[in-house]
Parts: sequence; structure tokens; C-alpha cells
Amino acid sequence: MKDLVLEHVHKKFGGVTASNDVNMTVPAGRITGLIGPNGAGKTSLINLITGMLPLTSGHILFGGQDISTEPADRVARSGMGRTFQNIRLQKEASVLANVMVGFHRHEKSSLVSAILGLPSSRREDAMLRQRAMALLEQFDMTDHADSPAGSLAYGHQRKVEMMRALATDPDLILLDEPVAGMNDVEARHLAEIFRRLADQGKAIMLIEHNMRFVQELCDYVYVLDGGRLIAEGLPRDVVADPVVITAYLGVE
Amino acid sequence: MDQILGYRPLFDLFLLHLGFAYSQYIVLRAGAFSIGNVGLSAIGAYTTAILTVQFGLPMPVTLLAGALIGLLFGVLLALPLARLRGVYQAIASLAFVQIVLSTNLYAENITGGAMGYSGIPKLAGTGTLLCFVVATIYVIWAVSRSRIGRAFDAVREDEGMAVSLGINVPRTQTIAYAMSGVIAGLFGGLEALHSYAVEPNQFGFHLIIVIMSYVVLGGRRSVWGPLVGVALLIALPEISRPLADARIMIYGLILMAVMNFMPRGIVDTLIARRARRKARKLAPATLKPEVQ
Repeated sequence: MKDLVLEHVHKKFGGVTASNDVNMTVPAGRITGLIGPNGAGKTSLINLITGMLPLTSGHILFGGQDISTEPADRVARSGMGRTFQNIRLQKEASVLANVMVGFHRHEKSSLVSAILGLPSSRREDAMLRQRAMALLEQFDMTDHADSPAGSLAYGHQRKVEMMRALATDPDLILLDEPVAGMNDVEARHLAEIFRRLADQGKAIMLIEHNMRFVQELCDYVYVLDGGRLIAEGLPRDVVADPVVITAYLGVE
Repeated sequence: MDQILGYRPLFDLFLLHLGFAYSQYIVLRAGAFSIGNVGLSAIGAYTTAILTVQFGLPMPVTLLAGALIGLLFGVLLALPLARLRGVYQAIASLAFVQIVLSTNLYAENITGGAMGYSGIPKLAGTGTLLCFVVATIYVIWAVSRSRIGRAFDAVREDEGMAVSLGINVPRTQTIAYAMSGVIAGLFGGLEALHSYAVEPNQFGFHLIIVIMSYVVLGGRRSVWGPLVGVALLIALPEISRPLADARIMIYGLILMAVMNFMPRGIVDTLIARRARRKARKLAPATLKPEVQ
């Protein structure tokens, strides 16, 4: 159970301010939404949290630990999983292989046993294969286990990304537009999975443009515009907020 | 029988070059675009040769020394190279090959200089070569099925993605450099113990091109890619003797054709085709339309 806390997070790209004094809490056991018009700095914020971009100033705390200056792979190993807005998969590799690489941080067999193909390495391999298949089943993807990930429809590719992120067994999952390219039935199925994960004590943060999905699923919502937080609160309050409506639709 | 024996030198060449091809393959598999393995082979070859001739050490010791010094220099090479990317990595590794080549040329009292280092007894025969090739392929196969192989693939395909899964990229590539160093050093040593003499230019630009051709033609992902590449490129000039004189020209033409029609190499292209066909048969409705 780890909370994520952002304190005065600031990021400048030359003259452009991507994040302007952002303060935010993503608590364990909750689903937190991050919305805002295109170019508001949502994806940049995720890149800052996961260590893929360095902060200009401010602090990011994860489970009480300051991770502001940690490199991205260490941040991931501290228990953070993410998906990408522009899907990033090993397109030629099978769905199963794509998911299995997610187990990396939990694999214990030694370097030597991996190089020599010793039984301990092979046992671990077989065990992970089973756990990957269990994930596939949870996401209704069993039929696609051996398909090359790049040959799937986009909605399915997003699911592969989520399974891979879940394979890292994260305390916090950052989902960048998880239901883009999915129909309502699929989206609802995913919503159930996310809710179950939150109930297990994981913190979930999602960026989404599908407002109905955000309203149905999120416990709390932050609204970003021009790198600055312009509103936060319960979903139904936020969507009724005139400031938010102006940000999305412009001034009358 | 005579006819089969007549092909033995060719088969030995095939085995030696398989080793070189795998030392190249393993760094490419981990997304490191380095050709430093040719320099590591040179270091292994000279180490084995000098220890054998000067100190009269037995083959297992000299080969082990070749492999270990390859490992050492492979890890040292990874320190600067794992920070570089793509073409910069390639250029820096080419510089390393040149440094090794020049050192072997100018350190005359140790290496024999441009005349090469000769008088090495032929200790490695076909059987020895075959044993080491089989062992090498087994290790590469075992690694590619393990967590290390999965990390290699992730780093090669998309570094940002690999990092998001907690994979330490420099560490992963260092493992690849180390493995490449062991294989390169070992087969450099075998080359020395097989061909009576080594000379600096043997491990130069020509060998780089030949080894690259094997891996590009065969494939850089599947374990069997280098095997197919080496087999084809070594057998081809022999099958039609008149072509043998134009060997390098034919290599060039084949490479151009492969780059155009099968840019991933023969084996990887065939594997990808089969997987797609199977996937289409299994669940045609949910697949995205083929974009050609």
C-alpha cells in the first residue's frame, strides 16, 4: 500500500511550462482520474512521475520516499507500472512473451543459471508462463496468447500493455487512455478489473478522454490545463465546474 | 570418403565463423550496435597464441585464458559503449577494433607485428571446434529463453518500454557485451590454434563485413539466424565454383537483395510470417487489417 504525493511539481521545456506547481495525491485503494484538454500536460506529468523526464523543481513522494531524482528503471522497481498513450509493445513477439517480460523485476534465478539453462531458471520460466496465462484469462485474451502483439486490434494491444504493467505487480498503476479504441462492453469489463485492483489496495491513476468512463469509475478527479491544475474534486462536481467547461469548450 | 574429407577445411571454417557470428549476434540481440567483438576475437587469438608458443601451456588453459580476456575486455568495452546509442555505438566500437589492430601491428616484440605470429601448433581440430560450437549454441538458446533473453528483447525493441518495466538498460547490455566477449575470445583462440598463424589484419574490416553479412542475412532475433546465415554464405561459393572468385561481390548482391525483400533476415522473416498466418487462422475477426 503506497500513496503517491506530488509537491509543487514544476517542469519547463525551454520557454514552455509543461507542469506548473502541481500538487496532487494518488492514494492507495482509490482510482484517481486526470483529465484535461489536449496539450494540457497530462502525459508529461506521467513521464515526470515515472522518472522518464527530470523535474525542474518540486518533489514526488512514493510511499513516503522521495523519488524525484531516481532514474526511471529504479522508479519502476519501487512498484510503479504504466501503460503508454502511443502503445509500446514488442510487435513481432507473441502476446505471452510481451506479458512475461513484465515479471522481470521479480525474477530471482541467478545469472549463471539463466546462462546455463539450469533447472532453477527453467522452473521459474514455467511458473511465470502459468502466471502470465492467468493474467490473459482475466483479460479475456487466452485465444491470443501466441499471436504477434502487433497483429492485434488496438483495443487488444492496450490490454496487452495493461497485463504487462500488472505483471510487474505494482503498487501504483498509471494508465494513459486505457479504453481508447474500445467499445462500451470492453470498457466496462476493464472498469471492473480496475475496481478490483483498487480494492486490493493498489493506487490507480488514469488519464482518459471518455468522460462517462471517468465519471463512472473515478473516486476523485484532477483537471489540468496549460500545465496547471484548474480544478479537483468528485467527478460529478468537476464536470459541472464552469472553469472546467470553459477549459474544454472555450469562452462563450 | 575422400570427397567428404575434401570438405573438411570448409566445415572447419564454417564452425569458426559460426562462433564469430554468435559473438556478433548476442550484442545485436540486446540492442547494442557494436562490432567490437572482432577486436575481442583478436585479443583472444593473440593471448592464446602467445601462451601456447611462449609458455607452452596446454590447450584447455590457453583457450580459457582467451575466453577470460575476452570477457574482461568485453566488460571494459561496455563501460563507454553502453552509454552510447545506435550509430555512435557502432563508430566507437569500430575505433576499438582499430586500436586493437594497431596495437597488434606496433607491439612487434610481443605480437610479431605486421608479419603476424606464427609457429602455433595446430591443436584444435574439427572435433574440438564442433564441441565448442554446440556448447555456444546451447548457451545462446538457454539464455534466449530466460529472463536475460526477455530483457535483451525488450531493450532492443524499445528502451523506454524496457525501463518502464524496471529493466536496467546499461546492466543488461553489459551482460550481452560480456557474453559476446567470452564467445569472441574463445573462438579467436580456436582460430589461432587451428590456422598455425595469426596476423593483425585478419581481424580487420574484412572480417567485420563478413560477420555482419552472416547475421544480417540469417536474422538477428532467432537463435537459428546466424546458423543459416553462415551456412548459406560459406556454402554458396563452393556450390558453384566459378562464382568463388567473385565471393565478395556475391555477398554484396545477396545483402542488397535481403535488405530490400527480407530486411529482418531469412529466419526471422519466415518465423514472423508463420506466426501471422497462425494468428489469422485462430481469431481473424479481432485482428487489425493487414497494412502493407
